[in-house]
Amino acid sequence: MTETEMDTTTRNTNAEEILRVSGLSTRFFTQEGQVNAVSDLDLRIERGEVFGIVGESGSGKSVTARSLMDLIEPPGEITEGKIEYNDPDLADAVRDDYPQAVDGEYVDLLEVPADVRESLRGTSFSMIFQDPESSFNPTLTVGEQLAEAVEVQRRASARPRSTRAKTQDYTLASFALSTVLPSREYVSEESRERAIELLEMVGIPDPVERADEYPHEYSGGMLQRAMIAQALAGEPDVLVADEPTTALDVTIQAQILDLLAEIQEETGMTIVLITHNLGVIARMCDRVGVMYAGEIVERGTLEDVFDDHVHPYTEGLLGSIPDLEGARGRLQPIPGNVPSLLDSEMEDRCYFADRCPNAMEDCLDHPPEYDADGSADHEVRCVLAERDYEESRALPEGYFGETERPAADKHADPDRTEEDVQPERAEQPVDDSGGDRL
Amino acid sequence: MSSDLSDATGAETADAASDADGEQPLVRVEGLEKYFWENDSLIDRLLGDEPVAVRAVDGVSFDIHEGETLGLVGESGCGKSTTGETLLRLQEPTNGRVEFDGENVYDLDGSELTDFRRSAQVVFQDPFSSLDPRMTIGDIVQQPLDVHDVGTEAEREERVRDLLERVGLSVDQLDRFPHEFSGGQRQRIGIARALALDPEFLVLDEPTSALDVSVQAQVLNLLDDLQTEFDLTYLLISHDLSVIRHICDRVAVMYLGEIVEVGPADDLFEDPRHPYTQALLESVPRASTAEQDRDIETLSGDVPSPRDPPSGCRFRTRCPKVIPPADLEIEQADFRELMDLRERIERRDVSLETVGEDGRFEFEDGSVPERDVSAFVTALKDRLLDRDLPAEHDAVVEEALTELATSNWDAAAETLRAEYQSVCERENPPLETPASWAGADVDSSEGEDHPVACHLYAESTRSAPEPDP
Repeated sequence: MTETEMDTTTRNTNAEEILRVSGLSTRFFTQEGQVNAVSDLDLRIERGEVFGIVGESGSGKSVTARSLMDLIEPPGEITEGKIEYNDPDLADAVRDDYPQAVDGEYVDLLEVPADVRESLRGTSFSMIFQDPESSFNPTLTVGEQLAEAVEVQRRASARPRSTRAKTQDYTLASFALSTVLPSREYVSEESRERAIELLEMVGIPDPVERADEYPHEYSGGMLQRAMIAQALAGEPDVLVADEPTTALDVTIQAQILDLLAEIQEETGMTIVLITHNLGVIARMCDRVGVMYAGEIVERGTLEDVFDDHVHPYTEGLLGSIPDLEGARGRLQPIPGNVPSLLDSEMEDRCYFADRCPNAMEDCLDHPPEYDADGSADHEVRCVLAERDYEESRALPEGYFGETERPAADKHADPDRTEEDVQPERAEQPVDDSGGDRL
Repeated sequence: MSSDLSDATGAETADAASDADGEQPLVRVEGLEKYFWENDSLIDRLLGDEPVAVRAVDGVSFDIHEGETLGLVGESGCGKSTTGETLLRLQEPTNGRVEFDGENVYDLDGSELTDFRRSAQVVFQDPFSSLDPRMTIGDIVQQPLDVHDVGTEAEREERVRDLLERVGLSVDQLDRFPHEFSGGQRQRIGIARALALDPEFLVLDEPTSALDVSVQAQVLNLLDDLQTEFDLTYLLISHDLSVIRHICDRVAVMYLGEIVEVGPADDLFEDPRHPYTQALLESVPRASTAEQDRDIETLSGDVPSPRDPPSGCRFRTRCPKVIPPADLEIEQADFRELMDLRERIERRDVSLETVGEDGRFEFEDGSVPERDVSAFVTALKDRLLDRDLPAEHDAVVEEALTELATSNWDAAAETLRAEYQSVCERENPPLETPASWAGADVDSSEGEDHPVACHLYAESTRSAPEPDP
């Protein structure tokens, strides 16, 4: 306990922000209209911490992760904002060509060309995905795929800031040649050995034999370990873990979380952990951001968010979890559903107001982030941080339509007509975003 | 929130308990087995391949009393959903018997079977694939009424309206299609459909695992209310221990096709007896700030395959409390290490060719040359063991590994077996209430039934069971 406190204080005094995200907006331009998956998002991630992002399906947490990794694909687009990455070497390298992107030691990744961003993948940023079974190529052995990742990083570091090494060295012709000429093999012996080392590092028994097996011969937990190994191939500074344990059983989940914590401790890597599971957040994270409708509605240290939370959504989320240890009572669910993120349906108000038990007239204006009690990091996007709830200013019941029926998942939009009723899930832009379907 | 409701649940629990004393249970499952067969096609037979049994459910027995909720919990692949489907006769059993209201479900036919189908219903896990996308929700909920020819057309429609209102949907949505609803709403439709025929018994197969946590809470509350209102009996199948804890009166824990522990929910969660239950509970991360200071001893390894389950107690390959032979002085962690080593040697799951660093040992006709044997043994031991064992056990291990230098797997396995055979691998422990335990622990068990399938609680193996940490 005291040790953790010490860690926290040392971290806070010489905290260095490795990643500064400001005003990030990611939108998807779909047939139904513009979807504001992430709007005006700010993040400060310190070197060596585990930062958690928690939210329900459709809250924009996976899109945030993909935006950081520059993995947004059409019809999605990062429309605004800065993603500044602290790397003096990179800053020096790009200062002459892109002066507008550099600010001291920080480089705005959205201002540099795509190939520079791409060259950072693996060596600076790496990602692990939710579903290990579909993230591996079933036709190649696990060892080969890991060796490939190692090889890519090796070649990339031989020629920094170039993506040639990754994309153009190996063609179909070289593949054909590699079957006859051993010298043309894409994966070198060193890479293969490094792959085996990585497998050993993530706790796979008999890495030598296991490297020659195919993904289907691995269990889910082992594959997730292998994916972590692959992500570590380039010794990244920042690891983005998108629902890394959602597809796993609890006993395996515990193993994987232990492994991530161990690796983090050994390498001092920064982890951005995305999950819908508040227990996982509590186990792993130093600081947390709670996402709702594309925004971070509350952020702060673990204690701020779990014990001193201000936002009624955080309260609702914590109240919805059945307690494993306590007595049984009735759960306190949040009425209604995650809102639509279609631009045409998002009004300029607090997006949670229609489900909020404490909605007041003030909530009809979109709230800025207020400082809240607790640690210096504690910020909340809710007027309750500034003033207490007043009965007299409360919005009349049914203000947003049929929300007064607590049991119904009614879509709370007064202007909604029969025709434009869309299933909430179908509106989610990223089809594999949900961590909640298991 | 509403104290009267929780009181009502409390009263029901008491009822269920009194049922347990006298009346017969609503559902009684005895020795239920369901095997699936692999390599069982005509071609396989012509080629002479032996069919392989996948023992999804392997001898499961439990009772469900009227008005109670029994939770069936376990990891994926442990057979909990198959149990639910088989006891509803959605799958034909390989063996065993299920009594519903005193009648054997598998003997029913004709109108008796129809009656059973009416009174036992199911809610499936995935609300996205369990509703017909081409039917309106009105038709979906009405379909069971049509199939069983209940009432007149007008009465059926009236009933559908009542049901939809009851599960929290509005009646003007009758003509909509499933894709127009969110996951939580679809699960409500599935529940309304299951309630259409006024059943007594519902199997809820992971009813909330596809839902977000806030919507899950709504559905759990709904299920709670419906149980009180319609006197329903639930079998709740879930992998989520906190959901189980929240709504179940009694809980059965499954591991690899078998039930390892059954008990009243509070008792089982506060005082888990089986090492598997203990590990399972310990593994769940709690949503509280104290979580990071909680030490978890994670289970090593994966669940073994149900095609070839371990002999004796099926959990023994991962159990941190596996029992050493009575006359052996050994630390628990060392014994666990030795058992893992034995397991691998018995499964021949060690590649001898790759032992050692760069200069690998030469294998000629499956043997390492005489001069290299001791180096080979050291290298192999280094690779297989993470701990240093006490000298006497070290000697046994070296003896066994020396056999491996000549690829003599059977002799190596036999050497270790002779020394370290555990009661856990010889006998499958029966599911029974430990007599000594029930007496010693009156407080938490209150005389209620809490059987456990583990040798730790058998009289003969150990004088006293280890208390929980």
